[in-house]
Amino acid sequence: MAPEAEEREIILEARNLRKEFGGLVAVDDVSIQIRARTLHSIIGPNGAGKTTLFNLLSGTMPPTRGSVFFKGRDITHLPPHRIAHLGLGRTFQITNIFPNLTVLENVRLGAQAMGRHNLRLLTHSDKYTQYLDQAEQVIAQVGLRGREHMLAANLPHGDKRKLELGIMLAGNFEVLLLDEPTAGMSSEQVPALLEIIHNILTSGNRTIVLVEHRMDMVMSISDFITVMHQGRVLAEGTPREIASNELVQSAYLGALYGDLTAQAEK
Amino acid sequence: MRVKAIWQYGKVYIILLIGLIILSVIGWRAMGQQSFVRTALSGLTLGALYFMVAAGLTIIFGLMDVLNFAHGAMFMIGAYAGWQFYTNPTFLFGLAPLVLALVAGIVVTPLIQPLAMRWAVPARWQRTLRAVVIVVAVILIIVALLGLDVRGLAKTAMVATMVDPLAEATPQEPLAVFWKRPLLFFLAGLLIALAQARPGDRTQVIRSGAAPRAIVALVGFVLLTVAATLTRESGAISVLKMNADARFFLSLAAGALIGAGIGAAIEISLVRPLYVRPTFLILATMGLSFVLRELTQLLWDPLPYAMSRPPLFSQPGKAASILEWFSKHTLTVEIMGVTFPSYRLFIIALGLAMFILLMLVMNYSRLGMTIRAGVQDRDMVEALGINVRRVFTLVFALGAGLAALGGIGAAPFAPVEPVMGDRFQMQGFITVVIGGMGSYSGAAIGALLLGLARAFGDFLALKFSLTPAVSEASTVIIMALVLLLRPAGLFGKKE
Repeated sequence: MAPEAEEREIILEARNLRKEFGGLVAVDDVSIQIRARTLHSIIGPNGAGKTTLFNLLSGTMPPTRGSVFFKGRDITHLPPHRIAHLGLGRTFQITNIFPNLTVLENVRLGAQAMGRHNLRLLTHSDKYTQYLDQAEQVIAQVGLRGREHMLAANLPHGDKRKLELGIMLAGNFEVLLLDEPTAGMSSEQVPALLEIIHNILTSGNRTIVLVEHRMDMVMSISDFITVMHQGRVLAEGTPREIASNELVQSAYLGALYGDLTAQAEK
Repeated sequence: MRVKAIWQYGKVYIILLIGLIILSVIGWRAMGQQSFVRTALSGLTLGALYFMVAAGLTIIFGLMDVLNFAHGAMFMIGAYAGWQFYTNPTFLFGLAPLVLALVAGIVVTPLIQPLAMRWAVPARWQRTLRAVVIVVAVILIIVALLGLDVRGLAKTAMVATMVDPLAEATPQEPLAVFWKRPLLFFLAGLLIALAQARPGDRTQVIRSGAAPRAIVALVGFVLLTVAATLTRESGAISVLKMNADARFFLSLAAGALIGAGIGAAIEISLVRPLYVRPTFLILATMGLSFVLRELTQLLWDPLPYAMSRPPLFSQPGKAASILEWFSKHTLTVEIMGVTFPSYRLFIIALGLAMFILLMLVMNYSRLGMTIRAGVQDRDMVEALGINVRRVFTLVFALGAGLAALGGIGAAPFAPVEPVMGDRFQMQGFITVVIGGMGSYSGAAIGALLLGLARAFGDFLALKFSLTPAVSEASTVIIMALVLLLRPAGLFGKKE
């Protein structure tokens, strides 16, 4: 963990976010501050509202109340593609690659989406060599060299996850929101992916926000951790603070949920 | 290993190819060369038309999950637009200024948005205000059309003959009376722009760079409107004076463009607000297809019209080969001992050209890459920073334009009538189901299969004096078989 992480400027901030689906409150008055060039994990049991929070941050869904600021700018009502152009990228929990495109096409799509040639859609895609170069570079970075022309569908699962990171890297986002990047991976594959994530963080000027429901996984690589429970923020702090937090321990040790929320509200 | 990979990738193609070859050999033997070739060529003609309808349907469904029941209407509109343009474009030239004026008004939206959103309208009145503004706009449009003999304009092509087209050039309304109509349409467009700007809604985002583009668009459309107003009569006459072959190819382009324009308008106005309610979309597009069909019926009566073939395909005589046709432009061409209409060969070529064009666009252009990615995962494409909504409008316009091109292509040998779209739409849907939703190459294969099935079904029905329903049933039987073996269609994406 970076020693001076706590003094870094805030790059992404949510203020009093609330999201209701009918009568269900999925995210309840959540405020969160993400500091630049840190790895911030959001953990919590299933149904804690982590993914909904991501959807609100990335503009995939509008919040019922509250607002989101990115680099000091209010992005609450921007459509997702414009938020992406400001430099905030995200992955989804299940599918993040395009199976019937080749590895190279997958990564190139990420690169050219952010480019400025949006109006000339009918030009041959290879004409834009800068995107091609960028894509090749990223493919090397995530360790998929030699597989550029394979269909993404034919990649082994671990490589699909690498490709997914590659698409995000090609987009050159300043902040990456990764929704359970290790989902579906066997425990032997996880460390390699975590290493790539760590490299991305240290090699570029990037900020990473991770969603996980496995707490052990994020302890070693995170600068900050936010624990969510039943739509609310239960605890926030460095991994050490979180590890010693009683509320969190009881949440993960399976304390009665009713008691827990009562305590949290105190 | 290699062989296995090729088999995995292309087994559907290989099986289909083997099946087709076996069936062809049997057919050749049983039917004799002449009737086999003739029937196969008719099948290819039909297949080319089915493809042009199905390609748009399948891409629209794959990308946006919209079953567009108004797609057949696009085919029909293409046929009518092309027929009008070729036979007597008075109707199109008479209405063009009005449409252009409306668009000129609507494009100012980004200009008035910054002002409108700062307007203090309480939240609960915003909806009402927008509704009122739209109603006023519609009233303006109705007032603008009062006294304009639209049906009269429409009837012009009905009586036109190819002997002397200029004899049918009908005078338009004098400018002194007409000038108010585009003006009112422009005002209606401005009102629609105001409603689109959502007065009082402060949550909107102003895009930088939109205003200069809007000014250019406004000036451009106003100039076009003025030009179209002044050339209502002279434009139509100069089109009629043109070489008939050139006019035919222009009418292909005009039909496709009108179809694409109407497609874009439908996507923006009717489909876009309903993406969140897919079942409503089916009803809305189906309702729209009824409205368009009845409107056509009102303007041109429910009669079938025949569009004459351009001289390029109608010189008397028979060419001994396709090469000879290029110099003689005869009505028929002899191919493998069969005399076949040259125009139908043109349709096959048109369908093939559209398939190749679509393949190039889908595989090698940035739009194509975005569409292929979007068919697989729309949210992700948006999260990467691509404006999916704009791609939707483009794809809708592209699909509608392709269907319209099919319509005008069909016009010289199929009757031009209000229900023509429905027949092709049904076959288009079956094609899409066979080929697999979202796959344009699936649509091509499906269209080929259906076209051949129809043609050979017709042949068998005639030969054994069965009911012609046999050929119609054959397509549905193929669909049922494909669905049993591969529920996602031949090349469909698996859910």
